Amino acid sequence: MFEKILVANRGEIAVRIIRACKELRVSTVAVYSDADRSSLHVSMADEAFHIGPPAPGESYLVMEKIIDAAKRSRAEAIHPGYGFLSENAAFAGMCESEGIVFIGPTAQSIRLMGDKITARKIALKAKVPLVPGTDGAVTDVEAGGAAKKIGYPVMIKASAGGGGKGMRLVRKAKEFSAALGMARSEAHGAFGDDSVYIEKYIERPRHIEIQVIGDSHGKVLHLFERECSIQRRHQKVIEEAPSGFISAKTRKQMGEMALRLAKAVKYRGAGTVEFIMDQKENFYFLEMNTRVQVEHPVTEMVTGLDIVKWMIRTAAGQKLPFKQSDIKMNGHSIECRIYAEVPEQNFMPAPGRVEYIRAPSGPGIRNDSSVYSGFEVTPHYDPMISKLIVWAGDRTEAIDKMRAALDEYIVLGVKTNIGFLTRLFKEAEFGRAEIDTGYIERHPELLKAQLADLEPALAAAALGMRNATREVEEPAAQTRSNWKSFARRLAVSRSQAL
Amino acid sequence: MIYTFKLQNEIFKVHLEEEGQLSEIEIDDKKFPVEFKRVDDNLYSLIIEDRSFAVGILKRGKTIEVYLNGELYEFEATSSRDIKTAAAGAAEGIQEIKSPMPSSVVKVLKGLGEAVKEGESVIVVEAMKMESELKSPIAGKVKEVNVEPGNAVESGTVLLVISSEE
Repeated sequence: MFEKILVANRGEIAVRIIRACKELRVSTVAVYSDADRSSLHVSMADEAFHIGPPAPGESYLVMEKIIDAAKRSRAEAIHPGYGFLSENAAFAGMCESEGIVFIGPTAQSIRLMGDKITARKIALKAKVPLVPGTDGAVTDVEAGGAAKKIGYPVMIKASAGGGGKGMRLVRKAKEFSAALGMARSEAHGAFGDDSVYIEKYIERPRHIEIQVIGDSHGKVLHLFERECSIQRRHQKVIEEAPSGFISAKTRKQMGEMALRLAKAVKYRGAGTVEFIMDQKENFYFLEMNTRVQVEHPVTEMVTGLDIVKWMIRTAAGQKLPFKQSDIKMNGHSIECRIYAEVPEQNFMPAPGRVEYIRAPSGPGIRNDSSVYSGFEVTPHYDPMISKLIVWAGDRTEAIDKMRAALDEYIVLGVKTNIGFLTRLFKEAEFGRAEIDTGYIERHPELLKAQLADLEPALAAAALGMRNATREVEEPAAQTRSNWKSFARRLAVSRSQAL
Repeated sequence: MIYTFKLQNEIFKVHLEEEGQLSEIEIDDKKFPVEFKRVDDNLYSLIIEDRSFAVGILKRGKTIEVYLNGELYEFEATSSRDIKTAAAGAAEGIQEIKSPMPSSVVKVLKGLGEAVKEGESVIVVEAMKMESELKSPIAGKVKEVNVEPGNAVESGTVLLVISSEE
């Protein structure tokens, strides 16, 4: 095992990794930018190195600064967390050449999976299904036949595209040629290139991913799935394990395919194979994330395995001491991400000082956070306040537990999505696991605050106002020195003793 | 003591009378006793006719934020003069478009005197590398433009004023 690990991250994930290290009796090195001097990961670590200004491009993303801190602290390994340098093959390579262990896969695995085209090729070779589509751009003559072969509905997409330009959804064969013409002219207008390709259109897609973990001795195992279909701004908000949708047969197939893919790149450490799934349980490979996922806790809750600790152990060369059939799922776990943001305004970030925070607790409740009362959520980084995770016997019970936990959560000073999440966990379609990536857009009513407890709220406002006035009115009481009064009391007690 | 609060353009009058531990609250001629106890920095316990509430309270300038059952109530404490203006404003349909957070102005979509539809975007601001369009809650005309692109604004800064009067 390592003696010292540098954690090249901040926020809750840095705290999570430091906790794992402490349990493993490994000392820790934190790095921090100017904006993070008061962050929890800094005070929790055994050593801390300042690495520059708040902008990630001048601190957390500067490879040389991280390597330098590792060398100065004599850390043997670097845990990159998620985001920042975690999927940067050049950084993993730099660690390798400097003789520092990168806690994650090899630079080569990251490189192979990081390139979308290469990853698709590897998937194809490993017989992992991809979204059916044409192999690149098509001519007008080929297009109609290709669409028929793929099966309607199809999506025509601009080869040079992005941002929805030159995209056309076609549901019927007779609409195809007109749509093709429009897509081409739009693509030409936007990108100066009218080449298009055709892909199967997935209606109401679900996002389901498989957690894998490998050691450096050739063993790769999967830890079942997570469903992350509730998204906003293309970012996951709620994740759960197991999925409330897929059959045991599909689960088995997905696990096997994820393993084929991971083995094809000799995967080491924790990784995630992401799939998109239609409402008939057909699933297609999206991409592989070669790092620890934000939502890893739900898998930990249902499997009982500590993913971060196993990342560290496998990076240190230890073998995974269990086999696939040893890994079982028990109960149901849900995570929701608490953000400083305004759901009513398209989930706009709302940084600021968290004046007061009280997190829920109790059986089956886990709160992964680095925020405390007085903490400043800065505009420089992701405005996540915490990940609230629950575990219960089944999905319904887990939802009830989440509702109860959210009810206990109090955050003052910044706006949060807690109210939105509370409403969502009471919504019937979510309760029936009828979810897909368009769920939030389909439920705009959830965005609106429900200020139903007006009477107690008004009473609290009035009493709060009165208290605030009192505090201003009583400065005399405030300025009395505790030291003076202590000395006076001491003098009195002494004189009495005499 | 009478406190007046504005919440989402509605005005509430709260009469507060104290007798030791117990306070009496009167809202819209409805009277009820309230037992109020501070349990942590910003956390209070309220007991109203045997019903118990855990409430977070934070006063910021003229705003008093009450956090209750997962929802945030942002009351604006107002004086009687403010109420008159607010009432007049509501009648005339004057709406201030405020910055919801510290941000920078990217684009002003509507100029002075321009007509605006209800729900139409009037300004684009950016924070944390994300752009957000702010919409007008009413139909009308732009009466004031207080900022220009590139301006850094604080939370609550009035960016534009929309008026529904002709």
